[in-house]
Amino acid sequence: MHNIMPSIYGLNFLEQSILSIIPEVVIIIFAFMVLFLTFFEKLAKGKNSYYLSLIGIGFSILYVFMLSGRNLIGFYGSVVFNGYEVFLFIAILLSGFFAVLISKDYIENFDIPYPEYYSLILFGISAMMFLVSSNNLIMVFISLEFMSICAYILTGYIKGSTRSTEAALKYFILGAFASGFLLFGSVFIYAAVGHLNLYAIHTYLENISYGSPNGLSRLTGISEYLSAGLLLFLVGLAFKMSLFPFHAWTPDAYDGAPTPVTTFMATGIKVAAFAIFLRIYSLIYNFNIINFNDILWLLAVLSMTFGNIAALLSSNIKRLLAYSSIAQAGYILIGIIGGGLYGYSGTLFYLLSYIFMTAGAFVIVIIFENSDLISLDIKKYTGLGYKRPFIAAAMSFFLLSLAGIPVTSGFMGKFYVFSSAIKSGYNWLVFIALLNSAFAAYYYIKIIVKMYMPDNEDSVNSCVIAEGKNYGIINGSIGDGLLITILICLFFTLLMGIYPQIFINFANYSAASLWRI
Amino acid sequence: MNNYLIVAGIIFCIGALGVLMRKNLIIVFMSLELMFNAANLGFVAVSDRLNLISGDIFVIFVMVVAAAEAAVALGIIVAFYREKGTIDIDKANELKN
Repeated sequence: MHNIMPSIYGLNFLEQSILSIIPEVVIIIFAFMVLFLTFFEKLAKGKNSYYLSLIGIGFSILYVFMLSGRNLIGFYGSVVFNGYEVFLFIAILLSGFFAVLISKDYIENFDIPYPEYYSLILFGISAMMFLVSSNNLIMVFISLEFMSICAYILTGYIKGSTRSTEAALKYFILGAFASGFLLFGSVFIYAAVGHLNLYAIHTYLENISYGSPNGLSRLTGISEYLSAGLLLFLVGLAFKMSLFPFHAWTPDAYDGAPTPVTTFMATGIKVAAFAIFLRIYSLIYNFNIINFNDILWLLAVLSMTFGNIAALLSSNIKRLLAYSSIAQAGYILIGIIGGGLYGYSGTLFYLLSYIFMTAGAFVIVIIFENSDLISLDIKKYTGLGYKRPFIAAAMSFFLLSLAGIPVTSGFMGKFYVFSSAIKSGYNWLVFIALLNSAFAAYYYIKIIVKMYMPDNEDSVNSCVIAEGKNYGIINGSIGDGLLITILICLFFTLLMGIYPQIFINFANYSAASLWRI
Repeated sequence: MNNYLIVAGIIFCIGALGVLMRKNLIIVFMSLELMFNAANLGFVAVSDRLNLISGDIFVIFVMVVAAAEAAVALGIIVAFYREKGTIDIDKANELKN
């Protein structure tokens, strides 16, 4: 059982509580500062909100580094901060950093107020960080809803765009539906165990299953409630992780949302949902009240297969990336099924590499997007390799990384995740996953081939030739924020591919602290 | 406690079916609230039976979150109505492959 007031650092309860949420609090303070800019008409106009949000994220990263190495438990065990949080906070803050960087040029094209937009992104980041560090079913629910509400508003942010509003509507209905399942699941968990604290539930289950040969199945009353609760809880989280039977909102919401918001959803929200699922899985699902690994096995296989087939059939690049993110969610789940320290650290490594490659691919979509819907068609990418060689090369690299070709971070991520599943004896699962990645390589490489094909057909590259209407290319050159994001993503995708050791060590340290209570 | 949970389960199922089958957005939203309130009923019943306070606290938080969500949901529905002139969910059919 965790100690409510450990005196390792000589801190009292209040000091420890405050320290454990400092990175989130910094982000929230900056979010309010950005929001208050709207009161002053002069300040709200320019780029102040943009720079202020970047500074806020920078400060938060600084505080995460300053706090790293500590093992803090705040607010009577509701919030924890240890190595696991350090890794995921940095991942989430990076995805928020990218989302802010790439928004600047994009939202100037619309008649929408800037400060609210940036403050919503900052609130979203803080909600994700709270979600990752939450250790109590109440905190999980509140921060999940906080995060989702920010995402609903951001999805429907483009005023007067029917597509954006419709995406927000679909996302809201399905997201709230999922939250209902999650909430009803926690009722049953609470009824079975009588605790809301995740560590307390873990300890309780450990104590009653100790010494009995059949584990929990002996205690019928508890195991029935608990398995029902955990199944409903899994449904709720699977919606947020966009696994197959619960994926329906993903393509629509990703397609209709403003593209920087899509990037934010595809990277940040997915990472946060997987992070909290990994924590709950390692603490509660691991007791195998019923055989959850079989259910996850099925979810992973279905997500991969469905995601890849649907991505093959779609011609809109945003939809293609949305379906491919469903397939990627299936791959990430394999690491969790594989389990153990090795599987969990592989999952974390994959999540980090996924942020870089997905953000990179979406940035390039933004660069060639304009108010014309056809600009999202993958046919429009024909001949890009000759017009803008650097961007085409970067896009090819990100797509190869998503496909899992060696020398890229996607390959190393897949390697760690699959080998952990092999270690645990899930040979068929890995076999299906390998078939799937071979199949997925087809549609990724199809885009690359298109980019390096001379455009002799009627597909005039109106989106490549800047007309002043492009969202990413202003006066013939790419915006700074977009360029910086591409360079960071390229650097890390390459570095994680050729020298994964530092990152996997970090992930190992972080996954090990899942159990350090 | 079991009877309360059965009632909560029935309300939850009614809510879930309402979300899936009704076409009017306001009714869909009401069904979502019904799902949340079914969970609230369950929490109150369980925490009464187990003599704990944490379930009741959870209910208060759920009500707050549901209120925040209602604001956003009604905002989105109003925006949808302004653009389409209807709140029929079948008219949300622009995003497809």
